[in-house]
Amino acid sequence: MITVGIDSGNRNTKAVVLKDGQVVGKALILTGFDANESAGQAYELALKAAQVSPEEVVAVVSTGVGRNEVKFAQEIITEIGSAAKGARYFVPTVNTIIDLGAEEGRAIKLTADGKIADFASNEKCAAGAGSFVESMARALQTAPEEMGPLSMKYTKEVPMNAQCVVFAESEVVSLIHQKTPKEDIARAVHDGVSNRVSSMVRRVGLLDDLALIGGPGRNRGLVQSLKDDLQKEIKVPEDPDYVSALGAALYAMEIA
Amino acid sequence: MFTQFKEWYEKRHDYAMEWKEKTGGKIIGYFCTYVPEEILYAADVLPVRVLGGHEPQDVTEPHIFGMYCPFSRDVLAQGLKNKFFYLDGITIAQSCLHIRQAYTSWDLHRPTEFSYYLPMPHNVQSDHSRTFLRSELQQFQEAVEKWTGKKITDVDLDRGIDIVNTNRRLLKQIFELRRQENPPLTGQEAMYLVLSSQMTDKREHNKALLELLEQLPQRKLNRPTGERLMILGSENDDIPFTEMVEQVCEATFVIDDHCTGTRYFWNESVKDEDRLLEIANRYVDRVPCPTKDWPQRKRLEHIQNLIKDYDVQGVIVIQQKFCDPHELDIPAIQKSLKERGIPTLFLEFDVTAPLGPFRIRVEAFLEMMRQEDLF
Amino acid sequence: MSTQIYPTEPLKLWGKAKELRDQYYLDYRDAHEKGGLRWAGGAWSFDAVPAGLGRDVYSLTSEPYGATLAHNKELSLECLEASENAGYARDLCSYMRLYWGSILINKYPYGGGYPKPDFIWQDHICCSHAKWYQVVSDLEGGLPMWEVDVAAGPYKDVTPAKIKYIVDQLQDGVEWLEKTTGRKFDDGLFIEAVKNEMRSTSLWAAVCAENKAVPAPLDEKTMYSLYVLATLNKASKEVADFYAELLAEVKDRVARGIAAVGNEQIRLMSDTQPPWAFLKVFRYLEQYGAISVGSLYTFGLEGIWEVKEDGTWGPRTTPMEKGIKIKTRQQAMELMVDWNLSKPEWQHFYHPQLKTDMMLRIANEWKLNGIMLHYNRGCEGLSLGIAENRLGLLKAGFPVMTFEGNMGDEREFDENMTLARVDAFMESMGIKKVK
Repeated sequence: MITVGIDSGNRNTKAVVLKDGQVVGKALILTGFDANESAGQAYELALKAAQVSPEEVVAVVSTGVGRNEVKFAQEIITEIGSAAKGARYFVPTVNTIIDLGAEEGRAIKLTADGKIADFASNEKCAAGAGSFVESMARALQTAPEEMGPLSMKYTKEVPMNAQCVVFAESEVVSLIHQKTPKEDIARAVHDGVSNRVSSMVRRVGLLDDLALIGGPGRNRGLVQSLKDDLQKEIKVPEDPDYVSALGAALYAMEIA
Repeated sequence: MFTQFKEWYEKRHDYAMEWKEKTGGKIIGYFCTYVPEEILYAADVLPVRVLGGHEPQDVTEPHIFGMYCPFSRDVLAQGLKNKFFYLDGITIAQSCLHIRQAYTSWDLHRPTEFSYYLPMPHNVQSDHSRTFLRSELQQFQEAVEKWTGKKITDVDLDRGIDIVNTNRRLLKQIFELRRQENPPLTGQEAMYLVLSSQMTDKREHNKALLELLEQLPQRKLNRPTGERLMILGSENDDIPFTEMVEQVCEATFVIDDHCTGTRYFWNESVKDEDRLLEIANRYVDRVPCPTKDWPQRKRLEHIQNLIKDYDVQGVIVIQQKFCDPHELDIPAIQKSLKERGIPTLFLEFDVTAPLGPFRIRVEAFLEMMRQEDLF
Repeated sequence: MSTQIYPTEPLKLWGKAKELRDQYYLDYRDAHEKGGLRWAGGAWSFDAVPAGLGRDVYSLTSEPYGATLAHNKELSLECLEASENAGYARDLCSYMRLYWGSILINKYPYGGGYPKPDFIWQDHICCSHAKWYQVVSDLEGGLPMWEVDVAAGPYKDVTPAKIKYIVDQLQDGVEWLEKTTGRKFDDGLFIEAVKNEMRSTSLWAAVCAENKAVPAPLDEKTMYSLYVLATLNKASKEVADFYAELLAEVKDRVARGIAAVGNEQIRLMSDTQPPWAFLKVFRYLEQYGAISVGSLYTFGLEGIWEVKEDGTWGPRTTPMEKGIKIKTRQQAMELMVDWNLSKPEWQHFYHPQLKTDMMLRIANEWKLNGIMLHYNRGCEGLSLGIAENRLGLLKAGFPVMTFEGNMGDEREFDENMTLARVDAFMESMGIKKVK
C-alpha cells in the first residue's frame, strides 16, 4: 500500500511517500504564496523520487499550518497528531516531543500508548525557533548552518533574554560591540531559544524519553543547549524536518 | 566600607543558614514589604525578603502565565529551584496581583510549615483601614504565636518595633548624606544597604549601619558626582544597571523611590499604647505602593519633595515589564515631572537589563541634560 | 455520528434581554435631559447604594462598556490606539484602555460623545479597579470619586471585622454621595435595591444551575447576552424580574428536553472573559458537537452561590427567603457586603486553589468532558492563577486546552492558531468533526 503525507509549513512544504510502512521517497520545497500549489509540487517531486505513479497512491493526508489548503488530500491531521505519529515511528518509546518549525515551537506529551496527553505551543511574543536563529545568524554575519558548529566552541555563557526578535537582535549587536566572541554569542542565541522551548516542555510536563523533530533539529548547537537546560538525553531522527509529513503518511495508512 | 553589605546581599543564603545554625531560630520568607516585620522580630523569627536571581530560567512557565511581571516569575523560580530550602515559613501582605502569584504557587509547590496571606487593606486613604489592619495584625500575631508556640507580649512587640524602627532611622540618616553636593556614597552602595537590610538580622545590620555612619561623613569618593539622578518605579535590585549608569555613564543616583529602596524604610512608626495599632498606622501611613495610592496620588507629592531635598536633575523611571500598578501611575508621574522641568527617561526592566541598548539610551539622556545646561 | 440528537428552539426572552441592554445605555446617556444623575463605576460596584439617591440615577459600568466597545472592530481599534497615543501601556487591562479611548476620541457607541458621569462610585479588588478611574478623572480634568476597598480576604475566612471595614467605607460613602450630589439619601430606596441585587444574583445562579441538565438548555455564547444584565444593573427591579422570567423559560426547556446545541456530545467549560470579537470560536465548537455550558466566569462573576444540603452547588438563599426583615441601612449594608464577599469570582484573588476547587465542582456537577482556558492577556485580575488552575484540573484528570488571547484587544488574538488548537484538542480526545 502506498500513502503520502504532506506537511504544509510556514517556511517549507514537505512530502513523504510510504510503501508498506517504509519511506520510499521524499521532497522538500519552499512554501510559495499558494500553499496548495506548493503541496502539489512537493507531492510530484516525492512521487518521482519514489518512482511511483499517482494512480498507485491509496491515500493522501495533509498536516501543518496550511493543511486545509491542500485540496487533493483526502483527510487532514493536526500538527500535533502528525508529530506524535511520526516521532513514534522513529522512537517507539518517546513520551515527550519537541517540534520546532520556522515560526512555531511545540511541546507534546504522549501517554504510554502514544495518545496525546497534552501539548503547548509558543505564544505570539515568544521568539520562534528556526527563523529566530536565522535572523541572529544574519546579525552575526554567519551562515545559518554555521550557528550550530560555532556555538559548540563557546567558552563563556552570556545571559540573553530572548523574548522578542527585535530586542534580541539589539542585544546581539551590543554584544558584538563589546567584542564578545562569536562563539559565545551563538551559544547565547541558542540558550535563549532553548530557554523558551524548555519552558514549554515544562508546561506540558517533562518526562524521560525525549525526541526533537523539525528542521531546527539539524542545529547541533541548539540541541546541546536544550540538553543542558533539560538535563535529559534528546533523540533527533536522521531527517528531522520530514517527521510530521511521515506522521501524516502513517495516518493515511490507518484510514486507507 | 560596603563590603559587608555587598556580601550579605550576594551570599544571602549562606547568611541565613549560618543564622539558623547559630540561633536555632525560624526563618520566614516574605514577598512584599507590607509584611509587618515588627511582629516577626517580636516572635524571634527572622524575616528575609525573597527577591529574584536575575538569571534566565525555564521553570515557572507552568505556574505563571507570561503576561505577569518578570520579577514575580524570577521570585517563584527561586522557590522552584529550592534556593530558599531553609525557609520555615512564607508570608505575603496583600499588594499587587503579580507577586501574589509567586507566593501562592510557592505555597502550592514548596509548602513550608507556616504560610500566611495577610489581607493588607488597599484603601489606606480611609481611616477605617487602620482599625481593619489592626484586627488583621491581631490575627496574624495569633497565627505566628500558634506556629512558634510562644506568646507575644507587649514587651516583645516593643522590642520588635524598636529593632525595625532603628533600622529605618539609621538608613534614613545615611540617605540624608546623599543630599550633599558630593555624596559620600554611590547609588549602588546605597542599594546594597537597603537590600542587605531585607536579608539579614536587623540587630546585626543596625550595628553595621552605626559603624558606617561614623565613617561616612569623612569619606570622599574619588569620582565626579556628575548628573544627580533619581530612580523610581517597581521593585529594583538590578545592580549591573546601577553600576553601568554610575561607572560607565558617570552620573550618580542620589535618591530613589522603590520598595527595595526608600519606600521600604522611609517612615518609622509613631508611638501608641496600642502596639498593634501603632504598627497598623505605620503601614497605612508609609509611602504607598501604587496599588494603594488612590483615590489621590499621594506619591506624586512625595516624589517632588525628594527631588527638591536631594537636588535631583533628572529622573530615570523604570518598571518591571507588565507591572500594571506602576504603568497606571507612570504617565501621571512623567507629566508632573515635565511640568516642573525635570527630564525623565523611561526604561522597562526584565530579569536581566539589556545593558548595551540601555547604555545608549542613558547616555543620550545625559547628553540631552547637559545640552540643556548650556542654555 | 448524527448531526441532530436533540430538539432546539430559540430562546424566547432573547429579544427582551437585548432591549433591556440597549435601554440601559440610552437611559444613562439621556439621564440629564430628565434632571437625573449619571455615575460610573465597575460591574462589581455596590450599585444598590447610589440607588438610594433616587429613581432617576443611572450608571455606566466599566467592564461591560469595554466589552461593548470591543464588539465593534473599528471603534475598538480607534479607542485602543487613542489610549496608546496618550502614553498608556499596551499590556494594561483592555477594557480600561477601550474605556479611556472612548473618552479620548469622545465617542459613545449608542450615539453622541462620551457621556461624562457626574461622579464615580467604584470598588477595588483587582489592582486596576480604583486606578482605572484615577485616569478617567485625569482625562476629564477631575471628577468626584468614591472608591471602596473590598479585598478583605476570602469568604471562608470572613469575620465581622472584615465586613465592618467595607460597611464603614460605604457608610462614609453615603455621606459623601449626599454632599456631592446635594440629594438626600433614601434608605427605603436603598433597601429595595439591595433586595433586587440579591434576587438578581441568586436567580442568575439558579438559571446557570439548570445547565447541569443534559442536553444543556443554554450554551455559553447565549449566556453572555444574559448574564450581562447583572453586570449592568443588578440592583434594579427590571433585571431581577427578567431573571425570574428567564428561570421559568429555562426550566421549561429542561422539562421538554430542548437543547442549546442540537448535536451536543462533548460538554466543556471555558474560563475568563472570551475574546469578544471572536465569539465564533464557540460556533466552531459545534462542528465537533461540542458545547461550552458555562464557566466559573459566567456563573460566578455576578451569580451568588452556596453549597446545598445534598452537597451540590445552587443559588444562595436570600435573606428574604430566610424570612429576615431588612429594616435599617446598617443592616442592609452588612447583609449586602456579606452577600458580595461570597461571590465566586472574588475568591481566586487570594489563592488559585479556591478557584480550582470550584472549577472541579462545576466539571463534575455539570458533567464536563474537558475545559478550555482562555489565558486572557486583557485581564490580569481574572487570569490570576489560571496556570495553577490548569495544573489542578489536569491533576484531577480533566483534559485541558489553553489558548492565549485578549478579551478586548483583537490584535492579541490569533484566530487561526486558536482554531488549530481546538482541532488538536478535539483530536486528542478522539472527537471528529460532524460531517
